[in-house]
Amino acid sequence: MKKWRISNLYLALVFIVLYLPIFYLIFYSFNVGDTMDHFSGFSWRHYATLLSDSRMISIVLNTLIIALLSSLIATIVGTMGALGIYSAKKATVKNGLLSLNNVLMVSPDVIIGASFLIFFTFLGFSLGFGSVLLSHIAFSIPIVVLMVLPKINELPKTMVDAAYDLGASSWQTLTKVILPAITPGIFAGYFMAFTYSLDDFAVTFFVTGNGFSTLSVEIYSRARQGVDLEVNALSTLMFIVSLLLVVGYYLLGRYNQNRRLQRVKAAEAKINQ
Amino acid sequence: MADNVIEFKKVNKSFDETRVLNEIDFEIEAGKFYTLLGPSGCGKTTILRLIAGFADVTSGDILFEGQRVNGLPANERQVNTVFQDYALFPHLNVFENVAFGLEIRKLKKNEIKIKVDEALKLVHLSGYGRREIAELSGGQQQRVAIARAIVNEPKVLLLDEPLSALDHKLRKEMQGELRDLQRRLGITFIFVTHDQEEALAMSDQIFVMNAGKILQSGSPVDIYDEPINHFVADFIGESNIIPGKMRQDYIVNFDGQDFECVDAGMKPNEPVEVVIRPEDLDIAPIDTGQVNVTVDTQLFRGVDYQITAHDAMNNEWKINSIHPTKIGQTVALAFDPEDIHIMRYGETEDDFDARLETYD
Ligand SMILES: Nc1ncnc2c1ncn2[C@@H]1O[C@H](COP(=O)(O)OP(=O)(O)OP(=O)(O)O)[C@@H](O)[C@H]1O
Ligand SMILES: [Mg+2]
Repeated sequence: MKKWRISNLYLALVFIVLYLPIFYLIFYSFNVGDTMDHFSGFSWRHYATLLSDSRMISIVLNTLIIALLSSLIATIVGTMGALGIYSAKKATVKNGLLSLNNVLMVSPDVIIGASFLIFFTFLGFSLGFGSVLLSHIAFSIPIVVLMVLPKINELPKTMVDAAYDLGASSWQTLTKVILPAITPGIFAGYFMAFTYSLDDFAVTFFVTGNGFSTLSVEIYSRARQGVDLEVNALSTLMFIVSLLLVVGYYLLGRYNQNRRLQRVKAAEAKINQ
Repeated sequence: MADNVIEFKKVNKSFDETRVLNEIDFEIEAGKFYTLLGPSGCGKTTILRLIAGFADVTSGDILFEGQRVNGLPANERQVNTVFQDYALFPHLNVFENVAFGLEIRKLKKNEIKIKVDEALKLVHLSGYGRREIAELSGGQQQRVAIARAIVNEPKVLLLDEPLSALDHKLRKEMQGELRDLQRRLGITFIFVTHDQEEALAMSDQIFVMNAGKILQSGSPVDIYDEPINHFVADFIGESNIIPGKMRQDYIVNFDGQDFECVDAGMKPNEPVEVVIRPEDLDIAPIDTGQVNVTVDTQLFRGVDYQITAHDAMNNEWKINSIHPTKIGQTVALAFDPEDIHIMRYGETEDDFDARLETYD
């Protein structure tokens, strides 16, 4: 009983420490004053400034476009990659591909960002929207592969055989059987890639240029010039958006779990029958 | 022969270095019910996968209606499979599952509807079309799998242990339904099982397999009454197998006595194995039968008693009798010459058939 209390207390403490700065930030976004020194009254002032700041709005749009586009393309490429890894006949090839994928997953963003910068300058590729989009796609692909591959491995092998057995071509087997069956995994991969892209700072910081900026980079540079409560207002909005994403992700997980539960129940019924 | 739908000619199959099918030769005639029977791992599923086209032979030929089909992809073969785990598509409902093959073949919507409804009716699942797969019981899923296969009207239907997950009662029911279905449709069935009782009950023809080889093929009665060797005799039902010696044609010696039998064609004094089925043994008062035995155990099984006993030479005897005995009691076993079946050591099926020709 006592132990339980202590561990709970510890957990609560950890969460307070983690969330306190965020709530502090959110709290002062409603301040009438211009600093976070003391709260002199409630106001939507900073939100109004934010909404009339067309540069900021366009950066928000850029960020969303990059996130939507990069995660969409990464989902397509990553799903095909996962299918490729799955259908690799030799175990060595399969493990090799998987390891290459995992290395990209664990390497620090700074290194990926720096290497992209070197790569783009070497190719003479101008930095801006294109370079940011490409690098976001690149670091999102391994995430998608990692989310989709387990779903493919879960498919009973005989299901694919059954599709061929009933006369389906490889393409029909892919589109009518495999893809519908792994759709939840694909969605999960898309969500993950989307959130990674949305809040990526390190990679973007390296490869952006020509006045093109994303939210995280912009907030960073503004915060360096001194505290501006417009940044607080923006952070608050972003926090709410991420919260919504997490809730969406959670609901998707619940949906998957329900489906699995149903399958388990069916299997049990088969045995009990 | 034009009547053979499928023919295997000296088919070998190896995975890496391990050979799992060894010189498989057989012919499948159109419209019959065949069973592949053998212990786990003997290569039954592998044979089905070769027929369906999911795997390729290492050497040898597979003929389909006289045409060599090695390397022909699975989706171009006129064969459908009922998988052991059913392999239904979980994202489609019952109707869509059954309609899958027809939609691939681009049949018209109303035609598909008619055929699917008919197939569902055939497996007693009319009205289940809207159900999700997860909402079905195991037996119902199995019948959907069968409907999904037969709706395509294949020349040959392959069934890989489709009843193994069902309880005894449902299993018996489905055995009858499958057999019935096969007769009604006139499709060739190749059915895989490791349950000998199921094989005997359902088949026109049984292939008994072990370790990648077909040991014996024949009608259930042939295989049951005249097993070719120890393995088959043991695998197909219970049997008493006693070492003996063939004195001369129609006289066999075992248990220290000469017995009249109906087999011939062996060398004089050739060592043989004698098979007598437990249900062919009758229990009689002591000294009124052929062998006296002392009862060791007795087990009531509902229809009969399963009795084990030993004789003076310490040979084990299994007896199935509808009359009970007492443990420790000495009784006589009575049997007729027709109940004795003689097996030669190492005789192949061809040699066996040739020998039967000489004295039948
Ligand atoms: N893909 C494979 N790679 C390597 N070995 C395999 C493969 N598939 C089957 N085998 C081996 O081939 C042998 C025959 O397998 P098969 O599946 O045909 O057996 P089975 O008779 O169907 O057995 P069961 O009754 O258990 O289903 C087994 O020893 C198995 O280990
Ligand atoms: Mg098998």
